[in-house]
Amino acid sequence: MRVTYLAGKRVYLRAMVEADKDVGIAWWPAPFPVNAARAEEWLKEEHKNFYTKRTRRYVIVRVADDAVVGGVALQDHDHRRGTVVFHMAPVLAEADLLRADALRLVVPWVRDDLELMVLTLICAADETETLAAARELGMEESVRLREFVARPGGRVDRVFMEMLNTPWRVEAADEAQAETEAPHA
Amino acid sequence: MRNPVMVGERVYLRPAEVSDAETDARWDAEEDETFMYRGRQPVSPIAMALDIAGWYKKQPPEWVEFAVCLVVDDTLIGHVGTDDIDWVNRTGETGSYLAPGYRGQGYGPEAKHLLLEYCFDVIQLHVLMSTVAATNTRSAAALGKQGYRRAGRMRRNDVKGGVYRDMDVFDVLRPDWLAARDQWRATQI
Repeated sequence: MRVTYLAGKRVYLRAMVEADKDVGIAWWPAPFPVNAARAEEWLKEEHKNFYTKRTRRYVIVRVADDAVVGGVALQDHDHRRGTVVFHMAPVLAEADLLRADALRLVVPWVRDDLELMVLTLICAADETETLAAARELGMEESVRLREFVARPGGRVDRVFMEMLNTPWRVEAADEAQAETEAPHA
Repeated sequence: MRNPVMVGERVYLRPAEVSDAETDARWDAEEDETFMYRGRQPVSPIAMALDIAGWYKKQPPEWVEFAVCLVVDDTLIGHVGTDDIDWVNRTGETGSYLAPGYRGQGYGPEAKHLLLEYCFDVIQLHVLMSTVAATNTRSAAALGKQGYRRAGRMRRNDVKGGVYRDMDVFDVLRPDWLAARDQWRATQI
């Protein structure tokens, strides 16, 4: 069930399916273990009232072998602001590269399709490929929380990267109608 | 004192009780400040009671909320708490609220120092954050006095007066807080 507008060369994003219960470790948004029974229960719970949920979750799949390599949570605040957080599979050498690729799919989608006014990526300062991709996509660092992420033997900063979309403007329905009809006049 | 967790000179922190709900709802009804909110909203004491009843069920919790009370007579005067506790990274987001009538009398800083002591020295968090509307200079100054430093700004975060407003983000490490508390204590003598 590949989503045509969320597909890249190395990864694609898709909605979660029942079979994802068997690869919970790859997308479970925490560092704790989860078995198939718990993952199945969570998937059902998470997808109840899906259309009114503030946070929607998708999986990141590697194109080469269709393996689930991570998850992405998109929090939507009032259909105006979005926050994106990635969780990558724990045993994955190229996690940062694949996360960067996934971000390259998420940002244009949120900006041009969902038309959110602001998108914030929350990541760690040592996720250099992801941060480089964010800058390349026009995101700017807006917040740096000191020592917010624990790493083996130390700590790194948490970084918020922000994308500002074209500001919304107010337009009366008859103005929009006039604009739509203008080319045909 | 009733069920105290952290005790200061003039205020102490205790778990919130369902019996606090009427007082909490009355504060919402009597709120006279608008600068810190998107908009005031009356809240039913029924909703408050149901809410509070669930606050301490999960252990370890994702957030900790305390009632702030006066040492002298146990009067409930506000709340402080830490939200979004991340037990792996040892972080959290602090917030505080003092009821109308108790602001500007030094209770807030004392309650907040007790909260930070709880976060850093009791549950051993490493770093805390807090957010304040960029227009809310009063709360930003209060955070500065507790050792918080500005970590950045989230733009177009909320709407106030028909304009998209920014939100400032602050963080505080234990050494920052200890230095700030020493400074604050020196002013109390």
